[in-house]
Amino acid sequence: MFKLYLFLFILCFCNSATVLLAGPFSDFKAGAELSEELTSSPTVNRNMPTSDSLDQAIKNLDPQNSVMWDELRENLLGINSRVKFVEDVKVIMQDHVEEPHEVPLIVKIPKRLHAFTKFILIIENNPIQQVIELNPYKKIEALGMNVRLEDDSPVRAAVLDQEGVWHVGSKMVFVASPGGCSSPSCDPTVEICEQGEVGKIAVKQYGREGKAERIKLKITHPMETGFVVGVDGEVIPEYYVNKIHVDDNNGPIADIATYAALSSDPVILLDLPEKGQSIRVHVKDSQGLEFFSHNTM
Amino acid sequence: MNYIIIVIALIVFFIENTFAENFKYNLKYVELADGIFVIEGDNTRLNSINGGAISNTSFIIGSKGILVIDAGPSALYAEQVISIIRSISSIPIKYLVITHHHPDHSFGVSSYQELGVEIIMSSSEIHRYEKYGKRLLRQMKNLIGEEWFLNTKIVDIENNKVFPLKINLGNHQIGIREYKNGHSEGDLVVVDIDEEVVFSGDLIFNKRAPTIPHANIDNWSKYIDILHNNKWKILVPGHGPIIRDKEELYMTKNWINYISKIAKEAVEKGLSPAEVFDKGISDQYKSYHLAQEVWNRDLPLLMKKYEYQ
Repeated sequence: MFKLYLFLFILCFCNSATVLLAGPFSDFKAGAELSEELTSSPTVNRNMPTSDSLDQAIKNLDPQNSVMWDELRENLLGINSRVKFVEDVKVIMQDHVEEPHEVPLIVKIPKRLHAFTKFILIIENNPIQQVIELNPYKKIEALGMNVRLEDDSPVRAAVLDQEGVWHVGSKMVFVASPGGCSSPSCDPTVEICEQGEVGKIAVKQYGREGKAERIKLKITHPMETGFVVGVDGEVIPEYYVNKIHVDDNNGPIADIATYAALSSDPVILLDLPEKGQSIRVHVKDSQGLEFFSHNTM
Repeated sequence: MNYIIIVIALIVFFIENTFAENFKYNLKYVELADGIFVIEGDNTRLNSINGGAISNTSFIIGSKGILVIDAGPSALYAEQVISIIRSISSIPIKYLVITHHHPDHSFGVSSYQELGVEIIMSSSEIHRYEKYGKRLLRQMKNLIGEEWFLNTKIVDIENNKVFPLKINLGNHQIGIREYKNGHSEGDLVVVDIDEEVVFSGDLIFNKRAPTIPHANIDNWSKYIDILHNNKWKILVPGHGPIIRDKEELYMTKNWINYISKIAKEAVEKGLSPAEVFDKGISDQYKSYHLAQEVWNRDLPLLMKKYEYQ
């Protein structure tokens, strides 16, 4: 009899505990490999952030508090890389994200770094941490894209100058319902889920101040992360765009290596100081398919 | 030893009770006019405490039958509404109007079907409910907890209604009209003709920012004008407290036109939604309940829609 009550007691206590645990921010961080728990139940409902979250953001942004940063720096920026954390590389995105599958961001690069030689975007707590690596042939003033966020994470934009120093701008982002990499990206509660024609590329050019312009490209592609379990219970294998080459009549503009941390149907924005002439885009994906843009100007 | 057992048993009893309370809807009704009742939803986001009961459910008790407006988020909810109705009247529940397919309005439908209630829903929304229902249900479970959705199932709904539709409940004459491609593809608005009470569904949100996942803003805005110009004493919105002052309809209209205008301008300039978020919401709209949340979710969707249409 006593054992039965004790059993019931433990059972009830455990159940109540799981309910109580849905606090504003769990301490859990997705590691380089996704835990089983996360792939099976990616969305834990969390309350809106509290005033503590700003302090937490500042703390989390400090690379000294990051368990990930040293390894990431070595792997992505180079073992002997020189890194400066700077304020003027600005990562502009929401502080608190509702929809983690498609989080728009834009990185504004200061004038002193417009002639940078490499750009890498890193989402520290993602299972796929590197989002893009861009090698420019021309000056670029800002870069935009839409990304997946698995969980709360520092987002870091690393810009390599001509002397070989990385200038890193950071932003801490909190995610209301985690699972940007590990749950299906189309949410029928808020949108119509229809897969477009894979490899369709839309290129648009927008005038900015003076001769400056913005190039925006959108590639229709599922960008499967390999962490999502489909309706049939099977893991959907990874499948993503891995190379984008942008050029115009005057030659190449940028080579971009991309990863599945970009959202499905990725959008890339490039702010150039001068207007491009007949922008062309050439895309390759992880199955070796190649796609070319039709200029929609 | 006995003491310990008693103490533990008491604790078990206590915890079990509070635990069970967690998955029960706390529904309260008010009588707006003779035979017209409203159960007001928790006017906020879906969460594990309100169990998805965020929209309003109404029922009209006529001398020949009862008509219910909106099924609520789950079978559990619908069963509680049915037992409330049964505590007030023994007249048969004859009709259930589902204003549109969103889960907080439609997922209780199976409980009514089992009672043989005639379901009234527009054909486009039946289509959406049947096409996306299972996925939506899975997402709702993930979001607010599986337990709320015990016995909730996605069922086939007979698609045979033509609007406008008139229903005679004896001492209540009911008109039902479809407003196509406004807030959803086919919102139903119910009017109690004698009592001059309008049930607008989600064409009107009160005291919170309206959500626009399947909306056509221009049509929706026109429909709000139509509702504004019609003669009525009381309007029951899809979400939020009942409305007696017609000016309150413009809360919804102004918001949808504002977010739509910002989205259109941003698309024309080629802005990233991140840049639009960075500018913030204008002060007039910031004060809406859930403003920031709805803005963050809806603005990129609208921009996408305008960009690639």
